Amino acid sequence: MEGIAFLLFAAAFAYGVAHLFNVPVIPALLVTGIVLAVSDTLPVELLEDTLVLGTTMLLFVAGMELNPKRTRAQRDAAIKVGTFQFFALAAVGLLSALALGYALVHAAYMALALTASSTLVVLRLLQRRGQLFEPFGRLVLGVLLLQDLFVLLLIPLVMDIPQGPGALLINVVAMAAMVGLATLVFRYAAPWMEQFDQEEEILLLLLLAVLFVFVGMSDFLGLPLITGAFLAGVALSRFPLSGMARTHLGSISEFFSALFFIALGALIGIPSALELVHALALTLVVVLVTPPLVTVITERAGMSSRAAIESGLLLAQTSEISLVLGLLGLIAGQITETVFTVIAIVTLLTMLLTPWMTTYRVADWLMRHRPSGVTPQRRSVDRDRPRSGHVLVLGSGSTGMPILETLLASGADILVIDDDPVVIDRLRDAEISCMRGDASDPELLREAGADRARIITSTIRRPRDNQRLLEVARGVPTLVRVFDEDDADWIRELGGTPILASHAAADEVLRWFDRTFSSGA
Amino acid sequence: MTDYLILKNLGYILVAAAAAVLLLRLVRVPTIVAYMAAGLLLGPVTGLLTVSDSVHLLSEVGIALLLFLVGLELSLDHIRGVGRVAVIGGTVQIALTALTGWALAAIFGLPTAEAVVVALAVTFSSTVVVVKMLGQKGHLDALYGRIAVGMLLVQDVAVVMALTLFAGLGGVSAHGDDGETDDAAAAGADTLGGSAGQDLTEAGAATELARGDMGSADSAARVADSIATAADTVATAADAAATGASDLVIAVATAFGGMAGLAIAAALAARFVLPRVFGWVLSSPNTVFIWSLAWCFVFILAAELMHLSVELGAFIAGVSLAQLHYAEVLRRRVQPIVNFFLAVFFVSLGLQMRPAAALEHWPLVLAMCAAVLLIKPAIVLATVPRLGYAARPAFLASITLAQMSEFSFILAALAAGSGMLREEILSVITVAGFITIGISAYLISGNEKLYDAAERSGLLRLFRATGTPEEAGEDTELKDHIVIVGMNTLGRRLARLFTERGETVLVVDSDAGKLDDLEGDTLLGTVDDLSVLEEAGYERARLVISTLHIEDANSLLAYRCVQAGVPVSIHAFDTSLIDELRRIGVDHLIVSKHAGARLIARRLREEGVLD
Repeated sequence: MEGIAFLLFAAAFAYGVAHLFNVPVIPALLVTGIVLAVSDTLPVELLEDTLVLGTTMLLFVAGMELNPKRTRAQRDAAIKVGTFQFFALAAVGLLSALALGYALVHAAYMALALTASSTLVVLRLLQRRGQLFEPFGRLVLGVLLLQDLFVLLLIPLVMDIPQGPGALLINVVAMAAMVGLATLVFRYAAPWMEQFDQEEEILLLLLLAVLFVFVGMSDFLGLPLITGAFLAGVALSRFPLSGMARTHLGSISEFFSALFFIALGALIGIPSALELVHALALTLVVVLVTPPLVTVITERAGMSSRAAIESGLLLAQTSEISLVLGLLGLIAGQITETVFTVIAIVTLLTMLLTPWMTTYRVADWLMRHRPSGVTPQRRSVDRDRPRSGHVLVLGSGSTGMPILETLLASGADILVIDDDPVVIDRLRDAEISCMRGDASDPELLREAGADRARIITSTIRRPRDNQRLLEVARGVPTLVRVFDEDDADWIRELGGTPILASHAAADEVLRWFDRTFSSGA
Repeated sequence: MTDYLILKNLGYILVAAAAAVLLLRLVRVPTIVAYMAAGLLLGPVTGLLTVSDSVHLLSEVGIALLLFLVGLELSLDHIRGVGRVAVIGGTVQIALTALTGWALAAIFGLPTAEAVVVALAVTFSSTVVVVKMLGQKGHLDALYGRIAVGMLLVQDVAVVMALTLFAGLGGVSAHGDDGETDDAAAAGADTLGGSAGQDLTEAGAATELARGDMGSADSAARVADSIATAADTVATAADAAATGASDLVIAVATAFGGMAGLAIAAALAARFVLPRVFGWVLSSPNTVFIWSLAWCFVFILAAELMHLSVELGAFIAGVSLAQLHYAEVLRRRVQPIVNFFLAVFFVSLGLQMRPAAALEHWPLVLAMCAAVLLIKPAIVLATVPRLGYAARPAFLASITLAQMSEFSFILAALAAGSGMLREEILSVITVAGFITIGISAYLISGNEKLYDAAERSGLLRLFRATGTPEEAGEDTELKDHIVIVGMNTLGRRLARLFTERGETVLVVDSDAGKLDDLEGDTLLGTVDDLSVLEEAGYERARLVISTLHIEDANSLLAYRCVQAGVPVSIHAFDTSLIDELRRIGVDHLIVSKHAGARLIARRLREEGVLD
């Protein structure tokens, strides 16, 4: 009891610190654990149990969140970006680790640990900033998903390298069997379990039973337990079961993973100077290699450079899965404590850096200072004709169509700016003059004659991106679509005319309600 | 470095539990019995598993968290209007049932210490079983349900006191060297029963008083004070009763003093510290969750330091948090963890059961079952109508309470641990508990048929309970209302527009701050949680609207509404969501972006900028 209590107090402290300084909670938990280890008060058995249970729950939930639907339209781009990023970073990581003097197996572990980015950290950031549904948010989610999949498929292989090709083959067969089992559960058992929505206790028990059956199976087949835990999660990731499960498993996994990261921190202990130097070097690799790498491929995949830069910055950290990987290697005796410590410190540092690196300011600075001419993207259809007195439409997308239709019907002179290459292609096919680029780019705005337009409409995703527009287009009537009242006030202050989509939508709901319900009643 | 023993143990336990629950629910066996059966199967029958230290720790945490949860629920308005019957009826029930148990044990010639344990074991009914069974029937808010839950809460307070007492006695027995100490302890405990009951009434009354101003921390303070007074009286009584055993006095006094200290600390914290501290992290639900668990463990440790039971500390921590206005949210988050740990606990209980030992004492097992299944309901049925209730709710409530409690096991285990109870009597108690909980589950599910049979046979007249019609339960259930989930600009606008039309609107949000300034019915919670939806009465609603910007929550809400045949309108905040929501079968989609664009288009036309 005392042991659990101490772990929990430490976790409570870390959550408070994370909340106070607005940093992700995982590094806060790790640091607290490291400090706690110095006092050496925690019983070893409890730490071991916590690590084992925490790993299992963490991977189980990670598997359950693995929903390919999330990526939607960005799936192909995500596969392209994810695959390239994974192997490129793995290669760079491997070379760096070898250069630091590590043996091949150790270097392989480190390389694999560097490739994965943290789903927990990134998902929370995207959620908090409401960017999950922007194309780049979807892309990043797709990449994260792919990384998890790659790492978890590769872990058993890396762990069996010393045993030679025969063991590898057996492993592949065992893995195929597990994936087959997961498919069966996904197809048949998951839909059957939905009937227990009303009986939360039974549902919870069934979910956990599936988890432990998978864990037992993977143990039986000689695979690492996390493979079983992860695949159990994947097998249960089917809608609506995954949603029902989230409520029940949420608290349990939060509890165990909080204790897990504390215990893991305690395992790291105080790093030596050499470990710190190596960790710093690899941190630099992650922070300096990932963003440009991802930016370049993402732009190639057709995203705007702004989205590409933000994707790169978001993915520049290592993952909780990296920690699990290190832990497994350590337990299996394949890596030394030094290797484990270096992996853990890299994760700690990169996770701490992420919130800062992904701020608007950094992305903005990179936008302005990126080497020009990498990918020419601002191509107006008719650059030669100087624009004035036109209607400037920002962000037509699929949601601005009513505006375009109205304008086209009236025969007005219009120019559209959008950052989505697909939209631009479609507009070009329809011979509507358009430019591709970021609506918050003042240069582009001036080029589009924002300051000389008759009227401007903006339906871009992020309300705050209208700031530059409103600065450039001072004096030009500007209709800006917003959802929140706060944003509306802000737009008004800057001289624009906010159009509250939420109020418009509420009116539409009422009209629908009257049509549907009032006639009968 | 590690042997994954904990995973293997948990794996056996959870898989067996799941299998047992699935199989046994076909014959309507409640989950608790299924868990114990699974434990029985794993342990005594097949010998696959023994209770390891880790599993023992997990089940201990489970019981602590269960009491934390019970504490958290203490300010629920389930006991609305039934304070008097709960306190008076509950106290009478406790006293008479304990007396019956005592007499029974005496007849079977058990020594005093064991008689006390047996008496207490038959007295308490299971909050978990009752709340679960009534919840399944949707009868928690029925009059009899509220009476039963009210009496259970009074029992819970008594359980806590009994636990404290046992903790004190356990402390003595640990360094007591002969049987005399035990007898003295039992004598002390016996005398304590009476005076504790009196003060308990006060504690209950304070709870009832507090009912009115649930929001304030006063209630906690008052309950705490009464408990403290009770503790003091009991300590004095103990003083008088056990003059010969000064060790015992000191131990019991320390126990009750410690309990009073904890209760006062909790009350002060609930009033001055917790609202501010938790208010600061309110925007981070996970922090609130981890902090509340940490708070629970602060009291667990404090209780351990003062040689009190872990359960008691957890309970007091729960009560102190129950006074916060988002206790309900916290309760919903703690529930799954409790479910998990409790499953482990009940399976391990089955693991430890020694049915063979109990078989040797089968007459005692039968007698205990009879006391719990027949005499306890009879006592309730004789008491409740005299407090102004009709025969029907009295009968149903009495049936509801006819089982032994998980606390009976805990008390017995505590007593066995401190040497007051022979192992075989512990087995007797667990087996009797197993049987009564199993039978009671059937009784509760068929309780209305039983009532009809009892009325026809004239059995009720024996108790002079008349068949006057049940008081018309005030119908506070929302019906034909409009549920609006998510208080963003859209949600607020909709709430206002619908309210202006004269519709009944219930708004739901997970952020207490967003509900503060709203008039009308509000509900705090996340709609991912089915129980929140049920509390919102979504099945009876005219329309459910979600304005949330959360894909998963919206999809799940849409799915559940479609399943229940409730009209539902969902915010498709991104156009990529439209297809999936349509596939789920949503009646109406709110595509706010399109609405905004249409408004812009209209403006462009209206203002004539386009000529």
